[in-house]
Amino acid sequence: MTDTERKGAVLPVAKEPGDTVLDFLRMAMTKEAADAVILPMKVPSGDSYAWILMNDISLLDDAVPIVPTMPVQGAKALRSLTRKGPGNLKVIAVMRPCEIRAAMELSKLGQVHSENLILATYDCPGAVQLQKYVDDPAGGDERFSGMLKKGNPDDSAKSVCHYCENFSIFDSDIHFGYLGLSEKEVLLVPGSGKGTEFLEELGLDLKKDLSSWEKGIEEIRADRVKTRKNSFEETEIQLRDIDGLLSVFANCIGCHNCQSACPICYCRLCYFDSETAEQDPDALITAAEKRGGISLPVDRIMFHTGRMAHMSLSCVSCGQCSDACPVSIPVADVFSYVADQTQNTFEYIAGLNDGDPLPLRQFRKAELPGVHELVKDADAEVPSHE
Amino acid sequence: MLMRRYHLMSSITIDTSASRKIKELLKFLLESGKIDAAVTMRKIPENNSYDLALITNASNLDEAVPVVPVMTVNAGQVLSSISTSGKKMAVVLKPCELRAFVELVKREQGSFENLLTISHTCGGVFPLELVEKGQIEELLPKYEKNVSKGEVPANTRDTCRACEHFIPMNADITVSVAGECESGKGCMMYFNTEKAEKFTEGFAGERSEQKFDPSVLQKTLDARLAEKEKLFSSTKKDGPGLDGLLDLFGKCVGCHGCSNVCPICYCLLCDFESANFDYNLPYFEEHLSRRGALRLPPDTIFFHLGRLTHMSFSCVGCGMCSDVCPVGIPVAAVFKKTGEKTAAIFDYVPGRDVEESIPVMVYKEEELSDIG
Repeated sequence: MTDTERKGAVLPVAKEPGDTVLDFLRMAMTKEAADAVILPMKVPSGDSYAWILMNDISLLDDAVPIVPTMPVQGAKALRSLTRKGPGNLKVIAVMRPCEIRAAMELSKLGQVHSENLILATYDCPGAVQLQKYVDDPAGGDERFSGMLKKGNPDDSAKSVCHYCENFSIFDSDIHFGYLGLSEKEVLLVPGSGKGTEFLEELGLDLKKDLSSWEKGIEEIRADRVKTRKNSFEETEIQLRDIDGLLSVFANCIGCHNCQSACPICYCRLCYFDSETAEQDPDALITAAEKRGGISLPVDRIMFHTGRMAHMSLSCVSCGQCSDACPVSIPVADVFSYVADQTQNTFEYIAGLNDGDPLPLRQFRKAELPGVHELVKDADAEVPSHE
Repeated sequence: MLMRRYHLMSSITIDTSASRKIKELLKFLLESGKIDAAVTMRKIPENNSYDLALITNASNLDEAVPVVPVMTVNAGQVLSSISTSGKKMAVVLKPCELRAFVELVKREQGSFENLLTISHTCGGVFPLELVEKGQIEELLPKYEKNVSKGEVPANTRDTCRACEHFIPMNADITVSVAGECESGKGCMMYFNTEKAEKFTEGFAGERSEQKFDPSVLQKTLDARLAEKEKLFSSTKKDGPGLDGLLDLFGKCVGCHGCSNVCPICYCLLCDFESANFDYNLPYFEEHLSRRGALRLPPDTIFFHLGRLTHMSFSCVGCGMCSDVCPVGIPVAAVFKKTGEKTAAIFDYVPGRDVEESIPVMVYKEEELSDIG
C-alpha cells in the first residue's frame, strides 16, 4: 500500500489523543473485536509505568496509551507474551512506532508471533528520558504534554528522539495520527490488510483523505532529518579514531545493561556472558605483559563492537540502551549512527516493510560471484569445478 | 574472632599516604619478581575516569591509585576469573571486595593460592554517577578529612555509610587509613600472614610489632551503626508484604543489571533468563481469565525474591546493584537488610572466613533429625 492510496477514518475527538485511543479500544472490546489489550499503566509508586495485558474493560480507565516515557521497550512485552506461538487470544497492543518496529524485527527472528496481534502505533513526539521521569514524574508529564502539543521532543527527551524519522505512519496494522494537524482531530489509519479488515469489521468508514495530516508529518520529519544529519556529524567526529571510541566508552563498567534493555539483542545467552568469552587467566597475564597493563574486566570495548556487529542491522534507535546506562554513555547515539550505515549498505530499514527478510539471513544470487572474487583476491585456491 | 588464622606478624609505620605506600609495595613486588602482576585501581587522566587494572610492568603503576573511593566493578567478581592463573598476583581490595571474593572461593569460583591480598580500612565509595560526572577530585579533600575524623563521608553509597565491616577481615596485608591517622599514630601497614612476611621480605620500612587497635575506630563504628539503623528503617516504606514489595520494585524494568554486577550472583545463566521463564500462551490466558490483567514481561517481583533467596546470606552490601539500577531502586539497602537477617539465622557473616561453610550447602546432623 503506498501513501498516496492511504485513506483513514476520523475518530470522535475526546479531550486528549490518548483518551480518543482509549475510547476506540473500549469500542473494540465491547464489540468483541479483541479479547484483550496491552497498554501502559502507572506502577504503585506512581513514578513509572508497566505494560499490562488486560481483558477487564474497566481497567482501561487507568491506562495511559500515549505514555510520557519508555520504561520497558514494548517489543519485549510482546516477546514475553508470544515467544512460544500466537495463542488463541486476539490482542491489540498500542505502542510507539519504534517499539512495533522492534517487534517486527523480533518476529523475523521467530521471537514474536504477531498472527493474532493487532499492532497499533501513534504519532510519537518523543519520550522523556526514564531517569528524568522517575526523578520528577509530575514534571515529566508536563514536559510530555508540551511535546505532544509541539509535535517535537524537548530537552527532557531521549537524544535519539530528536532525530527520529520514523515517529509516525508506517506499516503497523493501525495508526493513530494527530500531529501536524491544524484542527483538533484524531485519524485512524490502517497500514496493513489485517488492519483494514479489522477497522472495516468495526464498521469504520475509511474514506477520509489524509493529505493535510501527511503534509504536517512531512514538515516535522524535515526538522528531524536536519537534526539527524547534525547529530551524526557530531558522532562521526567523536568516533574519528580508536582513541575516540575508547574515550566514548571510557566509563563503561561492563554491566551489560544496554544489552539487557535492548529489544533487539536476541541471544538467549550473550556470547560475552558465556563461558567461551571467559578468557584463560594466563592469556590475560600475557595480554597485560604486552602492554604493561590492561583494564578489567577485559573486552569492554569488544563487547560494544561485538554487539554492534550483531544487532545494528535491526537497531530501531529506540534509545533504551542510553537510558539504562548507569554511567551515561551515549550508547544509542553511537549505535544509531552505526546502524544508519549498516542498514544503508543493505538498503534495509529495521522494522519497516515486514516482508523484507533480515539482510544477513538471505543470500542473493548476485552476491555469490562476489565471494568468488574475494577468494581470488586473497590468492587462495579456487574450487576447480567452477 | 575475625582473624583466627590471621594474626599480626609485623607492621610498619607509613610516612606517606596509604595509597602511595601500597604503590611502593606493588612496585617492589613487581620489580623484585615476587609477583607477576598487580591488580589495583587506576586513574585515567585523559578521560577523568577510573578503572580496575591488571598491571605487569612496574612503570605502568604510575597512574595506580590503590586507595580511592571509587568502585567501577566489584574486584572480587573480576578476580574470580583471573585468580586461577598459575601466576603470582598482589591484589588491592576494598574490605567488601575481599569478602565477596571469599564467598566466591567457597563456591570454587576463585582461589587464594597465588594471591597476596592487600586491603585497607575503608571510608566507603562514591556512587558511579559522581565518578561519571567527574566530581571525585573536588569531593576528595572533604572525604579524607571526614575519614580521618572517624565521620561518615557525605555523598557516598548508602550501604557504605551503613557498613560496619570497614576493617578488612582477613587480608594478608592490612593498611589502616580510616581514623587512625588522627589518633596520632600515623597510618600503619600490617603484615598478617606468613605469606605477607615472605612476599615483603626486603621491603623498606622498619618493622615493629605494633598491633592494629580497632578501638580507635569505635567512633566510626558507632556512626556507621547509626546510619545503618536509619537506612534500614527507610526501606520499610509503606509496610511489609506484597504492597511494600510492589511499591519498592514496581518500577523495575527487568534489565537484571543488579544481578549482572553482583559479585555474589554466581550462576552462569540466571534461571530468570533461561527458557524456564518462557511461558506458553495458556499460562497468560489462565492468568488473564482469573485476574483480568497481568504485567508483561511477568515475574518482576519474583526475580528479586528469587535473587534474595539465592544470594542474600552471602551479600556483602557493596552497593553495586543500586548504582547500576536505571530507575533508582534502593536494591542494595533491601538486599543488605534481608541478607543480614538470613545470615544471622545461621550465625553467618559473609566473607568472614574462607573455611566457614555456606549455610545452605552444609547439613548439620541435628538438622537431619527434623526430616521425616
